[in-house]
Amino acid sequence: MGQKPSKSVDAPTAPDDPYRRLFEAAAIGINWSGPDDRLIEVNQKFCALVGYRRDELLSRNIQEITHPDDRAEDRRRIASLMSGEISSYSLEKRYIHKDGTIIPARTTSSLMRGRHPYRVAIIEDLRPQQKATLQQRESAARLKSIFDAVPDAMIVINERGIIESFSPSAESMFGFSAAEAIGQNVKILMPSPYREQHDSYLERYRKTGERHIIGIGRVVTGQRKDGTTFPMELSVGEAITGDTRLFTGFIRDLTERERSERRIEQLQAELMHVARLGELGQMGAALAHELNQPLAAIVNYLLAARRLLQTLPAVSPRISEAMEKAAAQADRAGQVIRRLRAFVARRETDRREENVNGLIEEAAALALVGAKSAGVTTRLMLRPDLPPVVVDKVQIQQVLLNLIRNALEAMDSSEKRVLTVEAAAQDGMVTVTVTDTGPGLSAEVTQNLFQPFVTTKPRGMGVGLSICRSIVEAHGGRIWATPRAAGGMVFAFTVPVEA
Amino acid sequence: MTDDTTIFILDDDDAVRDSLSMLVESAGYKAETFASCREFLARSPLPSRACLLLDVHMPEMTGLQLQDEMARRGLKVPVIVMTGQGDVPIAVRAMKAGARDFIEKPCSDNVILDSIRNAMTPPAKTAGDPAIAKRVAELTPREHDVMLQMVAGNPNKITAHNLGISPRTVEIHRARVMEKMAARSLSELVRLALAVGIEPEK
Repeated sequence: MGQKPSKSVDAPTAPDDPYRRLFEAAAIGINWSGPDDRLIEVNQKFCALVGYRRDELLSRNIQEITHPDDRAEDRRRIASLMSGEISSYSLEKRYIHKDGTIIPARTTSSLMRGRHPYRVAIIEDLRPQQKATLQQRESAARLKSIFDAVPDAMIVINERGIIESFSPSAESMFGFSAAEAIGQNVKILMPSPYREQHDSYLERYRKTGERHIIGIGRVVTGQRKDGTTFPMELSVGEAITGDTRLFTGFIRDLTERERSERRIEQLQAELMHVARLGELGQMGAALAHELNQPLAAIVNYLLAARRLLQTLPAVSPRISEAMEKAAAQADRAGQVIRRLRAFVARRETDRREENVNGLIEEAAALALVGAKSAGVTTRLMLRPDLPPVVVDKVQIQQVLLNLIRNALEAMDSSEKRVLTVEAAAQDGMVTVTVTDTGPGLSAEVTQNLFQPFVTTKPRGMGVGLSICRSIVEAHGGRIWATPRAAGGMVFAFTVPVEA
Repeated sequence: MTDDTTIFILDDDDAVRDSLSMLVESAGYKAETFASCREFLARSPLPSRACLLLDVHMPEMTGLQLQDEMARRGLKVPVIVMTGQGDVPIAVRAMKAGARDFIEKPCSDNVILDSIRNAMTPPAKTAGDPAIAKRVAELTPREHDVMLQMVAGNPNKITAHNLGISPRTVEIHRARVMEKMAARSLSELVRLALAVGIEPEK
């Protein structure tokens, strides 16, 4: 049991004393100490707090187990207490545990006057509280780091619309500093007429609970400090703690997205326009090419016939005349084609050094816009080390667009839909292949695919691939198609690395 | 008139092949036709006196690629390249790759037969480079510009636009160029230009 407290002290001592039992059962540390700072009695809780047995503590100076930095302050308070200046004091001080750890605690001491005055101290372990505070701080810091990092701006307002917090992203989005914004009504971030109406929106929500934006999100217009407005996507969350209601708004600036969407639309329109013009011209070219062949044959036959006639003894001059006239008409048709060719050639081609990967990426992005690409996995297998090619960008993209669109269309009703566009360089040529997982085409159809006015589509004109062929051949390359063993088609074309 | 020269005709169009073979046969040559480069390359050995009429637009292997392949295999058959109207840039590349001549289909005259006759005679060394260079030197700067546009295959209107002159003026310059260069055809002009190292622009 150890040493008993001094008899001279009026303190509960007997083990069965109800005060004694209360004293021991207390969930809080309690000790008595004399004017000389020596401990007279300690309870279990206090022993546990500092890690000593009761007998180790009794008669020990309380300052011995007090953190050295806190001793002076403790002594000062004790002196005030002893002199009667104060009747009690409360101090956050640190004890030194037997194992050396520091125990933060709140000590509340009061003086018991009598023949032998002594102090009663109640010691409250502050560790659980500190831990909670630390956790709170940590989670607050974590929240803050998220708050600072989200690309979306975050604004917290209270029920009356007053801004309570304003994230760094919000600062750069709206041009207000957090200091300027906090405390202001959130309506300063809105253009008219919302600016005038926002308070009534809040009011209506308070009254009816009808949600117009909370949890839904919509695209609205924001106004920056400089008065300019911008499209933004707003989603609002609500938090209720106790009887305060806070609204958190997440805001995404859509200026960039709208700009890029507009750019894509514009590019597409441009390409479509050029494609249509080009299609006309290329159709003319394809037509000219196709007419040229039979015409060349006619002329050759006539030339041969004329030569053969000359070897015969007596030929009617009428026959020779008819031959001459036929030749003249063939010549005339040739002139028409020549003019058509010249007309087509007037669309100046603009060949520059281009990066094939870039061409493919852009064309694929354009071709994939729209519903046709839904459910299609696209794989672009590009090589960063491809040499540049000298091509007319728009024309080659027209070819790519055509092939990719065809591939997407071919896979319309396929279960597996994978579009693969691959580029590789070999023998001074860059080969681009477009592979689909559609039903594929028969060898017979494949043979005539690039002929004008041959089509596999119900409403097709049959000019797309023949145009692709004219373009690729005009660049000094080739285009061909092969069925895939596993189903689907591979369309490939080459363009020379050096023009 | 008969000739033991064989004319190989390589074109993917049946009627063109047939009509060409009739034409060259009417002129006394032997004709052999092929629908693809592969077929032609499988034909061996080649007779000593032969000439190849080659369409540049062939499926699978272009005329230019065939020329490369022939060079690789050491096949020394003179090649006459046939192009559609206005395919001069491709024709020029074929010429640089060693073709003896190019003809634009259809030809209204006996251009084909003339071209074959020329191709079958060894390249004329009489009009050597200095002689051609002398002709080039006699061109005015404007005529020189027009010649470059011609060998690049540009039609008159494009040439006019490029040089900032009227199409009518271009026509006059063209006639002067042909006259001064003593060229009877565009293909001959291209041949002469290539002989003195004039590279067609673009």
